[in-house]
Amino acid sequence: MYGADVEQIAIELNEDPQKLADFEARIARGEKIEPGDWMPTEYRRQLIRMISQHAHSEVVGMLPEGAWITRAPSLRRKLILIAKVQDEAGHGQYLYHAAETLGATREEMLDALLSGKAKYSSIFNYHTTTWADNGAIGWLVDGAAILNQTMLARCSYGPYSRAMVRICMEENFHRKQGQEMIILYSQGTPTQRAMVQDAITRWWWPTLMMFGPHDADSPNSALLIRWGIKTRTNDQLRQEFVNQLAPDLQACGIQIPDPELRYDEASGNWLFGAIDWDEFWRVIKGDGPANAERMAARRQAHEDGRWVREALSAYAAKSQVQL
Amino acid sequence: MNDTQWPRYEVFQQEAEGKPVLHNGTVHAADIELALLNARSVFARRPDATQMWVAPAEQITSRTREELAADPPAAEAAGAAEAYYIFGKLAEQAQASLLGEVGAASGEAAVAAALAQFGAEAALRWWAVPAAAVLKSDPADAGPMFAPAREKTYKDQAEYPVVTMMRQLRAKANTNHKDTENTK
Repeated sequence: MYGADVEQIAIELNEDPQKLADFEARIARGEKIEPGDWMPTEYRRQLIRMISQHAHSEVVGMLPEGAWITRAPSLRRKLILIAKVQDEAGHGQYLYHAAETLGATREEMLDALLSGKAKYSSIFNYHTTTWADNGAIGWLVDGAAILNQTMLARCSYGPYSRAMVRICMEENFHRKQGQEMIILYSQGTPTQRAMVQDAITRWWWPTLMMFGPHDADSPNSALLIRWGIKTRTNDQLRQEFVNQLAPDLQACGIQIPDPELRYDEASGNWLFGAIDWDEFWRVIKGDGPANAERMAARRQAHEDGRWVREALSAYAAKSQVQL
Repeated sequence: MNDTQWPRYEVFQQEAEGKPVLHNGTVHAADIELALLNARSVFARRPDATQMWVAPAEQITSRTREELAADPPAAEAAGAAEAYYIFGKLAEQAQASLLGEVGAASGEAAVAAALAQFGAEAALRWWAVPAAAVLKSDPADAGPMFAPAREKTYKDQAEYPVVTMMRQLRAKANTNHKDTENTK
C-alpha cells in the first residue's frame, strides 16, 4: 500500500491529496515538520504512539538499574549509576514534552501506561540479578538504543529529532561506562569473569529482540519510512548492532550464546541464529519475568507523587486568584 | 486540550557568555516559576548553561516563511508598543536562536518589524516573544542552578577511554597468539 502514489494513500487515509502531496514534498526536501504545521492524522498518531512508548521505556528503564544504586561496589560506580538513572528520568521528560507538542496530554499517556494499554521496551521486563547486569545494560541495551536513536535524530518531526540529539549525546556516556565495566571485569578475577559471562549470556538475546519484529512482520515500517520518521528498518539496525558487538565481546574473551554466530566474508556481516519470537511476544504481552513488578512500581510511584501534583496545582490556582 | 493539562512553556538556554540564546524544548508546569525550575531539572543536567528563559507558548506568535509569503503580517496594530524578543530558525536542522529585540504593539506587528529589520530571508520560521512574558533565571542563582553539573565530569563520555581499551585488548590478544605460535 505505502509504496503507492500519493493519491492512493490520500484515499486510504482520508486526507486531502494536495495537502498530503505538499507535506510529502516538504519531507523530501529535508524540511522538519514543526508543531502547528499541517500533518496527516496518521503521521500525528504514529508519532504519538512512538514517542510516548519511547518515553515510557525511559521511565520504566530506571527500575532495573535503580535497584542497584544502594549496592554499587564503589563510590565512583554509585555516582555514575545515580547520574545515569537521573538521565533516564530526564529523557522521559524530553519525550513526554515532545509528544505533548502533538496534542497528547500527560494524563492520557500516563493512564495508557498505568492501565497496561501502552507498551514500553520489552527489555525492561527482565531482572537485574547481579552487579554486572548494569554493565551489560550499558553496553548492550543502551548501545542498541543509540543505534535506533541516532536514526531518529534525523527524523522528520522537529521536536522528536531535537530531543533525540540530546538523548544520543547523553546515552553515549551510558554505553561507554557499561563497556568500560565489562572490559575491566572480563580481564579481572575468575569470579568477575564468570559474572560478566553470565550477564552477557542472559542479556544478549533480549537485546536483539529490542529492535522489534522482522521487517516482514513490522506493519508500520513502510509508512514510517515514507514519512521520514524512520530511515532504516528493524533488521538493518539489528544487523549493525551484531556487527559492532560480536567482535568486541569476543575480544574481551566473552562467549556469545549463539552457536550459529559467524562472520560471513561475502556480506561482511556477522550472521546469527534464530530469535525466539515466542519469548518476545510473551514479554510484550505482559508475561515477561518482571512485567507485573515493573507496573506495580510505576503505579506506586504515581500514587506517591499525587500530593505533589495536587500541591503544585493548588499553589498555582491560589497565585492566580491573588493576581 | 484536557483541562487538567498544565500550560506549555517554551524553554530557551544560553550555553555560555557570548553564545546565542537558543530554543531548547518545552516543559509543562502549573505556573511560570515552576516552569523555570522544571526546565532547569530537565535541560541543565549537563554543564552547558549560564542562563535559562521560559515563556508561555500561547503568548508566542509563530510564522513560517511560507505563511508570511502567502499572508504578509500587518505592521500596524492598535495600542502601545512593547518589547518583543525575535527568535528565528535559521536552518532546518537548527534550533531557533535569538536574533534581537523589536518594539511593536502586537505579536504580528513584531514579526513584521523583524522582517524589516533582519530581512525576510533571514529565517525559515519566526517567533515573536513578548519580553514581559519571559521569566529569566536570576544571575544570582546561576551558581546553584548550573554549577553542580560542571563538577560531575563522570557524565562526560570522554571520561571512558573504551576505544583505547579495546585496542589494547586486541594488541594483547595478538601478542599472546604470536607467543603461542613461537613456542610450537
